[in-house]
Amino acid sequence: MTELSPAAQQVVLAFADDEHMIGARHAAWIGLGPFLEEDLAFCSIAQDELGHAVALYEYLTDNVDHFALLRPAAEYRSAWLAEWPCEQWHESLVRHWLYDEAEALRWGAFAGSSIEGLSLLAARAEREESFHRDHATMYMSRIADGDDQGRSMIESALATMLPLGLGLWDPVSGEAEALAEGVVTASSADLAGQWKASTTASLEEWSFAFNWPVDAPEQHHRTVRSSHFDELQASLQEVIVLDPSATW
Amino acid sequence: MRTWSDLDEFESFLDDGGMVEAGDDMPQVYRDEVFRFIEFHANSEMMGGLTERDWIPRAPGLRLKQIFLAKTQDEIGHAHLLYMVAADMGIKSRTEILEDLFDGRSRFHNVFHYQAVTWADQIAIAFLVDAAAFASQRAVFAECSYGPYKRVLKRIISEEGFHMRHGEEMLLRLSNGTDVQHEMFQAALDRWWWPSVQLFGPDSPPDDNLLRWKIKSERNEVLRHAYVQKYVPLLQGYGFVIPDPELREVDGQWLTGEIDWEPLKATMRNGGPDSARRIDTAARNWADTAWVRASLDAAIARRAA
Repeated sequence: MTELSPAAQQVVLAFADDEHMIGARHAAWIGLGPFLEEDLAFCSIAQDELGHAVALYEYLTDNVDHFALLRPAAEYRSAWLAEWPCEQWHESLVRHWLYDEAEALRWGAFAGSSIEGLSLLAARAEREESFHRDHATMYMSRIADGDDQGRSMIESALATMLPLGLGLWDPVSGEAEALAEGVVTASSADLAGQWKASTTASLEEWSFAFNWPVDAPEQHHRTVRSSHFDELQASLQEVIVLDPSATW
Repeated sequence: MRTWSDLDEFESFLDDGGMVEAGDDMPQVYRDEVFRFIEFHANSEMMGGLTERDWIPRAPGLRLKQIFLAKTQDEIGHAHLLYMVAADMGIKSRTEILEDLFDGRSRFHNVFHYQAVTWADQIAIAFLVDAAAFASQRAVFAECSYGPYKRVLKRIISEEGFHMRHGEEMLLRLSNGTDVQHEMFQAALDRWWWPSVQLFGPDSPPDDNLLRWKIKSERNEVLRHAYVQKYVPLLQGYGFVIPDPELREVDGQWLTGEIDWEPLKATMRNGGPDSARRIDTAARNWADTAWVRASLDAAIARRAA
């Protein structure tokens, strides 16, 4: 485990928790996609995200599973977008597109990181992420070309997901110090601007009706969990708490 | 396209080791029966994936979650391959096969009509059910006269062999683990032993067409007996008790008590303990995502216009 400054730990933790929660949420779709090819594709994406979470958690702990599953809720730094259940496929697709467009920028900000090994991890992750973006973008653009019902489903999901998407850019409290230390090479505010511009351009190209909200939900530097977190965490912990001393 | 003048000539072709291909003018009785067998196998892979998905969110570790996701992805992938092989036989399209499954009009393996009620059930499925399925599939692969099915089985068997070893590793963790883990697996074994034994089916009838046409290479009772010989000592060696008070060893052979086939028959009527929920979940989701398929079809039509 690499020794990180408190600020660096906060930045890495936020990304790790996001990857964990999004991977867990994507994983819940296994077997339930709209067709079999989609089941297989989305399951691979879930596995990739969980793999990224493990790689990032390894900067923070020697016991990834205990750290990932058994912390008190207040110690997580995941964004509400990643925690959200998205039990309908259109919500899950829009979340996947928004999240992965953002993820590319976030890994990019790690590409020149002062933390040893993180830029290599970022390069590896980005190779996987380019497939994730292709997958999400292909669906968004095809559905944009499809029928009115499909377009309406996406627009309905955008109304829910865009505010949560903005919340991805709520910086952790140590971000300014982490920037100064070279842990990341761009601020959340800078990345948010790029993300909003590129997603807006795509949505306009696809002619989806949407409105950016003025504000994201108040996550208080990611210290406040969404209303769905307790249910998610209870599920994640259900087996390991039966005997935390066991090797499962 | 190859043709045969009658069923006798076709059976001689099979007896000589002939391999039937999708484009052949095979006898309709062969086409119908092989299709039903592959459809059953495909549905079982699909519903097996749904059986295992219940505990993936609760996996007690991130690597474990990835592993079980990959395994379940394999099962769905097997269904995907098998549905294509079945659809190519020209009896039903893939959509028709799936909709028959979701409407409760077709069948799938007995074991996937049960619910995994603890994490240890997930391990029991990997250890017991995958091993039974592996033995059964390997016996089909051995002589399989339908070429497209045999080629797909080669891949399926290689992946199922990996799943079986994964099941062994997972079981070792529980058997060597804490009291909580040991008790969990014993309870799971109590639930999954008989369904796993029943998976092979009742004794094969003397005139089993699937044996005559070299789809199956071995009788059900032979496969079942071999499975019992392997898994009784393995499970006992790991310190577990087989839930069969009449289980006995005679002349070096393990013999089970009399098998009650009523639970198997109930599952074949989609009347197993978890059949309704399993089918309903799949059917509801298929209906909920119909708009995606319709939208993509509309996009293809618009781009082609």
